[in-house]
Amino acid sequence: MATVKIPEQKVILCGEFGVGKSSLFRRYAFNTFVASNNRKSTLGLDHINKEYSSGGKRIKLQLWDTGGMERVASITSSYYKFAEAAILVFSLDNPASFHVLSQHLLDVVTYAENAKIFLCGNKFDLVGQDPQVTDADMDNFCEQCHNLISVTYKTSCKTGEGVDEMFADIAQHLITSNRSRLELQALEELSFKVTPQDEPADPTCLC
Amino acid sequence: MDEEYDAIVLGTGLKECILSGMLSVSGKKVLHIDRNQYYGGECASITPLEELFSRFGAPPPDEAYGRGRDWNVDLIPKFLMAHGLLVKLLIHTGVTKYLEFKSVEGSYVYKGGKISKVPVDQKEALASDLMGMFEKRRFRNFLIFVQDIKEDDPKTWKDLDPFNTTTQQLYTKFGLDKNTQDFTGHALALYRDDEYLNDPAIQTIRKIKLYSDSLARYGKSPYLYPMYGLGELPQGFARLSAIYGGTYMLDKPVDEIVLEHGHVIGIRSGEEIARCKQVYCDPSYVPDRVKKTGQVIRCICLMDHPIPNTKDALSTQIIIPQKQVNRKSDIYVSQVSYTHQVAAKGWFIAMVSTTVETDNPEQEIKPGLDLLGPIKKTFVTISDYFEATDLGSESQIFISASYDATTHFETTCTDVLDIFKRGTGEEFDFSKVKHDLGDEEQ
Repeated sequence: MATVKIPEQKVILCGEFGVGKSSLFRRYAFNTFVASNNRKSTLGLDHINKEYSSGGKRIKLQLWDTGGMERVASITSSYYKFAEAAILVFSLDNPASFHVLSQHLLDVVTYAENAKIFLCGNKFDLVGQDPQVTDADMDNFCEQCHNLISVTYKTSCKTGEGVDEMFADIAQHLITSNRSRLELQALEELSFKVTPQDEPADPTCLC
Repeated sequence: MDEEYDAIVLGTGLKECILSGMLSVSGKKVLHIDRNQYYGGECASITPLEELFSRFGAPPPDEAYGRGRDWNVDLIPKFLMAHGLLVKLLIHTGVTKYLEFKSVEGSYVYKGGKISKVPVDQKEALASDLMGMFEKRRFRNFLIFVQDIKEDDPKTWKDLDPFNTTTQQLYTKFGLDKNTQDFTGHALALYRDDEYLNDPAIQTIRKIKLYSDSLARYGKSPYLYPMYGLGELPQGFARLSAIYGGTYMLDKPVDEIVLEHGHVIGIRSGEEIARCKQVYCDPSYVPDRVKKTGQVIRCICLMDHPIPNTKDALSTQIIIPQKQVNRKSDIYVSQVSYTHQVAAKGWFIAMVSTTVETDNPEQEIKPGLDLLGPIKKTFVTISDYFEATDLGSESQIFISASYDATTHFETTCTDVLDIFKRGTGEEFDFSKVKHDLGDEEQ
């Protein structure tokens, strides 16, 4: 089959339980919002692809949710593997969820060395002009992290504000940083996914 | 934790993670606990390298070993058969999306102190240095028979009812000599000892077909190995379980499995009790319900070169059939390398393993070690092999067996599928898995 392969870029959501990672995922995937009293944390959310283009170049963002593993345990290290970008999510009305991000950042740089890192303050709708975590706090954090963080965003999954813009911007950044990705691809050339076999005479399928 | 679950799974080894995933997918409410603070138990790939050295009480590695966190060292060496049960499970559950694999480059068998490529098709059979000229023809005829036979079509059986003849009789019919029988049974059919000779021929035929079908899928050998090590496998199934609602707790001691009238009602950790209808666990959580039936020795070898005489293969398996070294069970050698993201650039990890037969197990693996060339560092473990004495029908505690010496995951999966069937009363229904999220291209 002669289909043009659009590169897939794994993007992972990181951050404390309850900051809205799955809400970002739902906004990204279905453009919906489900209030917290109406859902069972992170059931059934895995990963989903969405295509972006910039300057004639196309790219597929593959956004991954944690599966809710961070609720009591820690996330598996394989969650981070092959990630091209990580979004550190915190809640603008919850300073604790912000201060703990250095731990999440450490996990990202340990297990996904080449990932670009973005910072996302969510629940913007709750705080308006008076956030618990200020722009100055965020700038300080970026500085302390030796500029590992590429961009910072503010979003509201409830209203949808800033969400599309953030993902479009991240896609743009990943397109521009194509070079390092190509290097990685060269490294991974010989590895593959295992897939179902095309078996025309499969005896278990009598259709 | 103070809740009621359908099942509590103890330990995050591969078997427990597959079970946890299967149970969650089947709609069960699952709590999955590990006493360690990492996923994988014995199936974890140890990282960084400093952690491996300290685990074995060795002084820290010097700088020659490169960056510690480039290493992910397996404690139990195994490969996946490309057409085997684990790959089927990975595909049907969608866990394959979390992993990437490489094909293992070389598959070798040991004969008379040397190693030779395992011949699997007619061409290789005729070119192999394992057999003399006449034996090659007989072996080729045997391979053609195995490839062409269809279980439901007696016309392909060639006057030999594979269900009612033994493997020994099958070999005799084709006139295969002891040597050929040896590598056929051990390097193609992957039997661990010679018990199989008295089993129905059809079982051996199926196993050889598994080998050749696996080989046909991705290339040079029938084996696959995941990038970043085998520890990725349990983690993949753990994610599956979590996505289907399973709750994970690490670093959580399990102090008691609570029973009432002979069946399990929950587990206690400190003052907390989680209630459940069933417990699934590895032997280490229930020492009073398992028996030791043997021992396995495994030797991890760090090297700065590939195994000699393998055409510099970056990944290899070598099988030393028992008879070649006067043993009752085979010795296995497997090697992976930096190309699998399990070692620093330029480094190789070989593993020699076998079922222990004597009081001096380290001497037993010597024929394997002798094939490796110079070794920079070795770590030896001798682990007990446990089997359940309680099959769970009363207690509702379902216990997996320890990991055996085989170099692939077929026995691992049959154990898991058997436990699932005992626990739920039904075969695992692969159609229950809906992994359409993220699959919009299909």
